Amino acid sequence: MTETSARSVDAKHVSPGRPDFLTVRNFDFFYGKKQALFDITMDIPEKRVTALIGPSGCGKSTLLRNFNRMNELIDGIRHSGDIRLLGQSIFDKTVEVIALRRSVGMVFQKSNPFPKSIYENVVYGLRIGGESKKSVLDEAVERSLRGAALWDEAKDRLHESALGLSGGQMQRLCIARAIANRPKVLLMDEPCSALDPIATVKVEELIHELKQEFTIIIVTHNMQQATRCSDKTAFFYLGKLIEFAETQKIFSNPVQKQTEDYITGRFG
Amino acid sequence: MLLAKLMIPESSRHIFTDFDSALEDLRKNVLMMASLTVRNIENARRGLFERDEDWCNTVIADDEEVDTLEIQVDRDGIETMLRFHPVASDLRQVMAAMKMSVNLERVADQTVGIARRARKLNAHVLLPETAETEPLFRHAESMVLDAIKAYADQNTELARTLKPRDRELDAMNRDFANKLTELMPKRPEHIQGYLELIFIARFLERIGDQATSIAEDTVFAVEAEDIRHTQAG
Repeated sequence: MTETSARSVDAKHVSPGRPDFLTVRNFDFFYGKKQALFDITMDIPEKRVTALIGPSGCGKSTLLRNFNRMNELIDGIRHSGDIRLLGQSIFDKTVEVIALRRSVGMVFQKSNPFPKSIYENVVYGLRIGGESKKSVLDEAVERSLRGAALWDEAKDRLHESALGLSGGQMQRLCIARAIANRPKVLLMDEPCSALDPIATVKVEELIHELKQEFTIIIVTHNMQQATRCSDKTAFFYLGKLIEFAETQKIFSNPVQKQTEDYITGRFG
Repeated sequence: MLLAKLMIPESSRHIFTDFDSALEDLRKNVLMMASLTVRNIENARRGLFERDEDWCNTVIADDEEVDTLEIQVDRDGIETMLRFHPVASDLRQVMAAMKMSVNLERVADQTVGIARRARKLNAHVLLPETAETEPLFRHAESMVLDAIKAYADQNTELARTLKPRDRELDAMNRDFANKLTELMPKRPEHIQGYLELIFIARFLERIGDQATSIAEDTVFAVEAEDIRHTQAG
């Protein structure tokens, strides 16, 4: 955790392992009249993997999508409280949403490569950001595909369609696309739920590697995955944060009865 | 009586009822092992104090039942972990059951040791010092019974009484061994018999250790507190 990689993002802003890298304070969130999150307060540490778990509808994905303001694509939403990345509110008027989403990348449940070549998928964000220099783009492609553990499988077919990749490779391509922008935070919304066990293992190993460089927040319904991949786990229920602690603690001896009931399958 | 305590209360049942059944089966087998082990201790006691070789032979033969159940509990425990991936208190319960079966098997082995030594003693003249192992027997047996009860009832208050009681048993064993060692030069014709009694006391002292281990595992299963190798009762 103390090692700073040469590829580390914006090292001038960050002392490695900062415990309050991403902070949530008294955060309420509403879809119209329906309140989806209640008074959430938590500190997400830098360069660690934080898992958000809980039954469907508990608010974990809603919170995840707030971290890069993805929810703003939905009508009628509102919030109170604050979310701060490196001390700066992500809702501040000076924050550009596009820039925020570049800093806080996202990988979705179903891989969603563009119907373009592998190369173009990876550099898509950089091109949108105005980068056109071939050497920069080439470097980004290799760096990102290596970072996503896809380089060896894809280096000889960079200009072939991404849609020819397997499901697991597509998901790793989406991870490569997300990290090409050198984000500070990587959000993952059930990234392995559509993958077979072997592809899942590869993505989980990748998550372990990526945390050397990125702060990762993962939503998962798979308890074993949370146990294997994450350093900290937050349990949500009915829009409330019930317990947030080291993963080992949550899965061996949680403090709250609701957490224990959920992880041991007594909920229902 | 023990089996009546196996039922999982409605409020703590799992959504996956097969898991409840697996946990219940595991506990049933462990408590069956416990009952057989207590019976073996009782039979060893009769073999020694009633000077009855048949009881001694029964203890030695019955050990096989406990061994078989130990293997069964191991298999069931591994299968339960494989199928259900238990976590938190569930994982601790499975681990406690598996560790308890190991400890019970060791207690049963100690009773076999007692039975073998008793058989040798019974072949010779009655030593008056044999009666002095009675308090050690009582103490060790009560520890085993309470360790089992604490596990069955998930009663950590009772479990925590075992450690100080084990220290008492250690002291009783030490005193008894010292006394017989002092007697040996005075009555050299009984040295062999005294050695058998010292071994029996030593087996009882080990039974106390295993009862304490069961109690420590129960505290961990229920409260997630590891009290092994500490002074915590």
